[in-house]
Amino acid sequence: MRFQFPAWLGLVCVCGIVSCGNTEENPIDGPTQISLEAPDYFPGNIAMPADNPLTEEGVQLGRMLFYEKKLSSDGTVSCGSCHQQQKAFSDGNQFSFGVNDSIGDMNAMSLSNLHWQNKFFWNGRAATLEIQAVQPIEDPREMNLPIEEAVNRLQADGQYPILFKSAFGTEEITPELIGKALAQFERTLVSANSKFDAWIRNEVELTPEEKLGLELFFTHPDPKLQLRGGNCSDCHLGFLTAGDPNGIAGFHNNGLDSEENLASGLMEVTSNAFDKGKFKAPSLRNIALTAPYMHDGRFETLEEVLDHYNDHIQNSGTLDVLILEASNELPNGSEAVKLHLSEEEKKAIIAFLHTLTDQQFITNSKFSNPFN
Amino acid sequence: MKNLVYTALLSSILMCSSCNDVEVPATMAMDISLEHKLDGQTLELNGKSFTLPSGEDFTPKKFKYYISNVVLTNTQTGEMYEEMDSYHLISEDGNKSIDLGMIPSANYNQLTFSIGVDEVANGKTDQTGDLDPNSDMAWNWNTGYKFLVLEGEFTNKNTTERQGLILHIGTNPNFQTITQPLTGVRAGKAISLILAADLDELFKDPNTLQLSDLESTTIMFGEMAAKVAENYSEGFITVK
Repeated sequence: MRFQFPAWLGLVCVCGIVSCGNTEENPIDGPTQISLEAPDYFPGNIAMPADNPLTEEGVQLGRMLFYEKKLSSDGTVSCGSCHQQQKAFSDGNQFSFGVNDSIGDMNAMSLSNLHWQNKFFWNGRAATLEIQAVQPIEDPREMNLPIEEAVNRLQADGQYPILFKSAFGTEEITPELIGKALAQFERTLVSANSKFDAWIRNEVELTPEEKLGLELFFTHPDPKLQLRGGNCSDCHLGFLTAGDPNGIAGFHNNGLDSEENLASGLMEVTSNAFDKGKFKAPSLRNIALTAPYMHDGRFETLEEVLDHYNDHIQNSGTLDVLILEASNELPNGSEAVKLHLSEEEKKAIIAFLHTLTDQQFITNSKFSNPFN
Repeated sequence: MKNLVYTALLSSILMCSSCNDVEVPATMAMDISLEHKLDGQTLELNGKSFTLPSGEDFTPKKFKYYISNVVLTNTQTGEMYEEMDSYHLISEDGNKSIDLGMIPSANYNQLTFSIGVDEVANGKTDQTGDLDPNSDMAWNWNTGYKFLVLEGEFTNKNTTERQGLILHIGTNPNFQTITQPLTGVRAGKAISLILAADLDELFKDPNTLQLSDLESTTIMFGEMAAKVAENYSEGFITVK
């Protein structure tokens, strides 16, 4: 199933068959526009950026840049070092290692279905994927290469100027074009072949435990009505199980720390005290492959994550009200914020989370290192 | 798309009928915008504190609702325009307007619309556009849509603790249809209507909500949700 502009796609197909290569809108030597393949149950209302349409050549170049170690100061690290395909583009470490074994202070995010997200990094400081994609190159704790130097290295390469020419019509490499190519490749990282997807498409049944987990995942509890819920989908929305892409609605304080230990999070970007301690709600696609968890990788297992949400929420002035008010039992006078899920229910939610693992995604040869 | 269909439809009607009234164009542009107010002030999310009718403070975080089945009527002539696929997700931090496009010209004097999603659309979640279940307005695959969502925080008067308010109102009995008189709509003339949504009305008339005294401030189903729906059925959204 195709994602966007089906009518336009139809035209391209017709053009392909009758080889009408001389239309004004599709110059023969320009890059070949392609559409993002995604299921029809993914949101259909997110347009491709007008100034960075998806093209075969752009995606191919972006894939090379993603795995290009020249983009780090000592030539040892690429984007793919901390975003490894077999771990759904995360790296398994609490904090990621950059050049010279320098270490960051955030957990490397898993990459998938990025076209349907906005505001990147845990604190949302990059408004677009294009802006996000080049920042780790310069970050001293990551690839530590001034962007001008990155441009110079690529410009001096025998191959890259030609690849930029075919993707963007110019051999003159700029930081902006590096970001565009990386963003194009990253948008193609669509994960939509998990067991959950097969269930959505009516191709498989979930086990009773997975089904219970799904129901709990997508339910905000109401103890007055004996409606039991895990409260997960209040922040991890819909089929994408990802944060709300509207404005800053996808950022939440999920009770990791008490007031005195609360990190800045989104407040660094908005300067609004109301946003203190809020971090991006990530997509939970492939979550079983992307341990450790949370922005600072503090939890090693999904069991620890569930225990956190069930029993160890730290209250603070910006704790999300959907967590503050979520309980499977009526208030008992205690001020502690607890979800009151049973052991069986926690296990069921974890069983559901495992249905989000997409083996095709982590083995798709289109996403692998082209230099291997 | 639907505008195109209408334009095509109207063009064909025009061609078939003799144009005996050449002065009034067959169609007119109409759009509707929504304004959100609380305690007489423009609504703001994420930081600003407002006073509720109960006197309690309230800091809203999220406000979204569906307006559906928009109908314009001239009650004297019986002329009527019903928008097709009429489902509009309105949110404080997102879309706050409804563009009806070119509609048949008439001196409409009545606007009818509903808050929520009708039973047919509420029974399936494989829909697109404003009914896309990927927005947080779909409960899950069985329960249909939330019609109105208001989330925020207040200080509990009894405990002085910060507390959350979760209003997630849905289910078919809480689907409410509202009829409002229109003045100033003239056949053939483009017009922009303004609807004012007064959030105070969610908390009063006829059911006063004293948040600090509620058994639970998560209001999703059951009796409390029905009371809020009764509140929004009248006086909540009015033509300005």
